[in-house]
Order: sequence, then C-alpha cells, then structure tokens
Amino acid sequence: MSAKPLVQVRNISKTFTGNSLPVHALKDVSTEIAAGDFVAFCGPSGSGKTTLLNLIGCLDRPSSGEVFLDGEEIAHYDQGKLSKLRLHKIGFIFQDFNLIPTLSALENVEYVLWLQGVSAEERRRRAIEVCGRFGIEKLVDRRPSQLSRGQQQRVAVARAIVHKPKIVLGDELTANLDHKTGATLMDFLKELNANEGITFVYASHDPVMIERANRVIRMQDGAIVS
Amino acid sequence: MFLLKLAFLNIGRNPRRSVITVLAVGVGLAALIFLWGFSDGTNEQMRENVIRLYTGHVQVHAAGFEKALSPELIIPNRETLLKEASKVPGFVTYTERAKCEALLGTSERSRGVLLMGIDPAQEKTVTQLEQYVREGAYLAQDDKRSILIGSRLAKRMEVAVGDKLVVMTQALDGTLAGYSYHIAGILHTGSQQVDEIAAYITLESAQELLGLGTDTHEIVFRLDSRKHIEAFIKAFRPFVSEKDYELLTWDQIVPEVEQWAQWAEAIIQTILIAVMVVIGVSIMNTVLMSVFERTREIGVMLALGTSPGRVIKLILLETIVLELWGILLGLAAGYAVVGYFGTAGIAFPELEAAFSRSYMSTVTYTRVETIHVVQSVITLLLLTTLISLYPAWKAGRMEPVKAIYHS
Repeated sequence: MSAKPLVQVRNISKTFTGNSLPVHALKDVSTEIAAGDFVAFCGPSGSGKTTLLNLIGCLDRPSSGEVFLDGEEIAHYDQGKLSKLRLHKIGFIFQDFNLIPTLSALENVEYVLWLQGVSAEERRRRAIEVCGRFGIEKLVDRRPSQLSRGQQQRVAVARAIVHKPKIVLGDELTANLDHKTGATLMDFLKELNANEGITFVYASHDPVMIERANRVIRMQDGAIVS
Repeated sequence: MFLLKLAFLNIGRNPRRSVITVLAVGVGLAALIFLWGFSDGTNEQMRENVIRLYTGHVQVHAAGFEKALSPELIIPNRETLLKEASKVPGFVTYTERAKCEALLGTSERSRGVLLMGIDPAQEKTVTQLEQYVREGAYLAQDDKRSILIGSRLAKRMEVAVGDKLVVMTQALDGTLAGYSYHIAGILHTGSQQVDEIAAYITLESAQELLGLGTDTHEIVFRLDSRKHIEAFIKAFRPFVSEKDYELLTWDQIVPEVEQWAQWAEAIIQTILIAVMVVIGVSIMNTVLMSVFERTREIGVMLALGTSPGRVIKLILLETIVLELWGILLGLAAGYAVVGYFGTAGIAFPELEAAFSRSYMSTVTYTRVETIHVVQSVITLLLLTTLISLYPAWKAGRMEPVKAIYHS
C-alpha cells in the first residue's frame, strides 16, 4: 500500500428517505483503497456494496462522513464538480454495460474523450488503439444492438479505460454474462491492473469473481464485516 | 459537432414522434403564414382601394378645407405647388378637383351629396373611377351638363341613366347656384360611402357652378408607391406652409382603413399566441417523453462525466433541430398556400354589403409581409425553446444514481 491511499472513506453513513421509512444503506463505514489495488466488495443483496461503490464513484453523496478521492474531499461537491471529477479520474463499467445505443462502438469509446475536449483526430486514434487491444477493432462501426453481450462488455471496458482514469469501478460486472465470458472479462481487467496499474474496485456476489481480487471487503447490513 | 451528431441520432430514434412534432410546428406555422397572408392581403387591398378610388396618395387643400368644405377655400398658388411637386422623387401625376356639399333633386326627391368636379382625362391617371361605371358612360371632357352618381344614390332617388337631376349649392359669392344635369353613368364602387353620397361633374362645370374661375379646391397626387409617401411629404412640405395649406396623406383622409388593419393584426396576434401555445405544449410533450424514455441513458451520460449543462444543451439542440425542420416545412407550405391564393384569390361575393363599409374587395388576394413571417418564426423559435427548457433542465438535474437504476 502506498503512503497516501487513492480512496479514503471515513465514518460514512447513507440513509435513503422516500415515502416509506428511512433505509440505512450504510452505517458508519470506514475503509481505504490503495492505488493499483484490485478490490472486490462482496456480500448479500442489500448489504450496501453498490451504495459504497456509488459513493466512491462520486455518483452520490453520503448522509454523513467523508469520502476522499485522490486527496479531494467530495462529500460537499456540487453536481458540476462531481461530474468533472468523474470525467477525469473515474471509469465505470455498468452491470448492463449501458452503452449509448445511438452511437457506434467506436463513438461510445470516444465519448469520454469528447467530454474531455480531446480533438476529433486524437480521440479517434486513442479509441481505435484501445479497441484494438480488446480485439474489437473490426466491430467499431457497429451499434451496440449489433454486438453480442461479450462484445458489448469489451466496448464498455474500452470506454472505461480509454481516458486513463485513476480508478475503474464496476457493479456486478459479470452478472449478465456466461461463466466463460465473465472469466475472460476478469482476465482483461487483471491484465490492465497488472500492466497499467489501474485501480479496480467492483461489487459482486459471484464467488469465482471475488476470488480473483487481491483484496476482498465483505459487507453485511450496511457495514464492513471483514 | 459531436453534440449535434448525437442530437440528430436521438431525433432519428423515434421517427414517428419526430415527424409528428415537425408536422405540428410546420402546419402551425403554415396556418399562421396563411392567416397573415389573408390579413395582409385584405389590408393591402383596402389601402389600394381607397387610394385608387378617390384619395390618391397625397392631397393638398387650402387650410381647413377638408373639414369645412367651404367653396371660398381655394388653393393659393397652384401653379407653383404643382411645379415643385413634380420635382419631388416618387411623384407620378396629379389631378385637380372642385368640391362642395350640394343638394341633388328630382321633381319628387332630393338628397344631400358631396359634389366633385373632376377633370375626366386627368382623373383617370390618378384614380380608377372610370372602371367603376356600371351603367351608362364616364364623363366626357367637354360635357358640362352630365353627372355621374353612385348606385345606392340612384336607387334611393329612383333615377336611371339619362334622367335629369338638379344640383343646388352655395357659390363662392354666397349666392345659391343651381344647374340641371343628365345622368351620364351610374357608378358601383362597392364602397358604401362613394356609392351613396358622391356625385361627379366635370371640373369646368363645377368651376362655373361655384363661380371659381380657374381655381380648384383639391390637388390629388399619385406617387409611384405608398412607401414613398413619407419622403414625398418631407420634400414637399417646405412649399406648403401649414398656415395656408393642409397636406394630407390618404390614411389621414380615411383613417378607418388603418384602424381596421390594426384591429385585424391584433386578432392575428391573438391567434398567433394560441397557436404558439398549442405548438409549445406539443413540443414540451415530445421532449418530456424523449427525456423520460432516456432516463437511464442520461444517467449513464452524467455518470461518465457529462456536465448537467451539456445535457441541457443536448436536449435543447434536439428541440431546436426539430423546430427548424418544422419551420422550414411551415415556410414552404405557408408560402405555397399564400402564393396560390395570391393568384387565385378567395372570393366572398355574398359579403359585399358588409365589405362595402370598409373598402374591402369581395375577392381577397393573399400576400404576406416579410416582417410578419419573421415575427412568427422568431416567436415560435423563442417560445418553443423556452418551453423545452423545462424538460432539458429536468434532464440536467437528474441524479445519476437514480437515473441509472430507473426502470
């Protein structure tokens, strides 16, 4: 572990209030994630792993406590600041991949670079290069609906890493994939972690996927148990 | 460019809804252009009808004549005025008239009329009076004992072409003057005012009747266009002192035409607002539906780092692209309809009685003023963009987590 952790979570709680009774999704959770780590959050449904992932990913703000990402305390950031932080420091791989359906595979990969203001030529070059690494360079002009689940997943991973983020977050990455495709995805991610030092944090309750992590954070009822 | 491309792709996602929205904007705008075309066409015809019927573009009288109609209020220094007027840009021609109130009588009936002495040949260069002669003939240049009267007047006095009428009026010297005339022709202008109270004799005959010598009461100028009236007045004014003359434009002589035009425009403006609201609601519905259907996708876009402002921009861009297509369609359809009815005309023969009170023609030829189209397009664009700000703002304010897990 390096001297300064990439992610620091200090005594955070998250309570969801709606029309029904308040739900305490996280209760006084504290943890740290080092740069270059490969971490799995595991636990049963409702244990709070997705909520914790969302807070680390600056997609949500805690009800109390502090979240530091790369030294920045984000609990009081507004949406604009959070979105800038996500754009430059975080990559996301969603459960259903959530590619933008109207854009081609290449444009989906280019999207984040476009948001960062990278020139059209440069972002095309970088997107093609990343797609090539995942063996999807011949599929770049296809729309997501014209790709298999496995191909979509590769596009989603390419989109998550193309802008060289500090950390990549994934929620139930392999939930919708067959075992073989899921395993291939994990191989990809491990390789990226090992070769490029990208920090990966993912939530899963698949024991096979959890086994591949360097570090496992077990959660139950909104708290870290080990 | 990428944002614009994304906007186009999103519009193409639900072609039926996009087409309906474009049609709503297009048909709404086309209807507005047609309404403006109808209103502008009607107003334009009314203005030209008045000008070509008797006012000309500009008239000069001795000061106070328009109200008093006193025979002694003759125009001083006519020759100088005419010479100076002919030098002003926009001047085309002129005619002179003698004018007075008179009593027209037969052995059984009498009516008060506005008697006008006209130069038959010169009058034709300024007004279209001759074209309105429905029975009989127009005045001959040297026929001092013929008279033209309106169709309504003829009906009320129960006279026809060839009948004899006695005209009595006060001469310049205050004495009672009277001559008898034969009806040369009966006019039917469609204007209640002219058909019921106007009677025309030759200028020479009127000068003789009123004892005017060679003097006249009215000079009527015809210019090359209504647009040049203001410039003509400005250039001519130094020669026409307010103390001695009154210089009147056609709409000062018959103000009700412009009042009517303003009223008609106010009605169209009201309809414009109603149409805009309908189009606006249609646009808002489309955008709201589109945002709702893409909640998850917008959530992902926000999660990836798209700023709320950029999401708002994207939604607005989609709306504006749809609006612009609708506007193009509306302009094409609107101008096509206005062009067609501008040539074919829209006839209302059964409304002649009503139209005759306001110088309207029974056939309206549509024509639209560019300013009204520009005004409609700008209002449409601004209003619908403003209305779509709400769904766009809603999209930009989405919380990524809630949006992504939205089912």
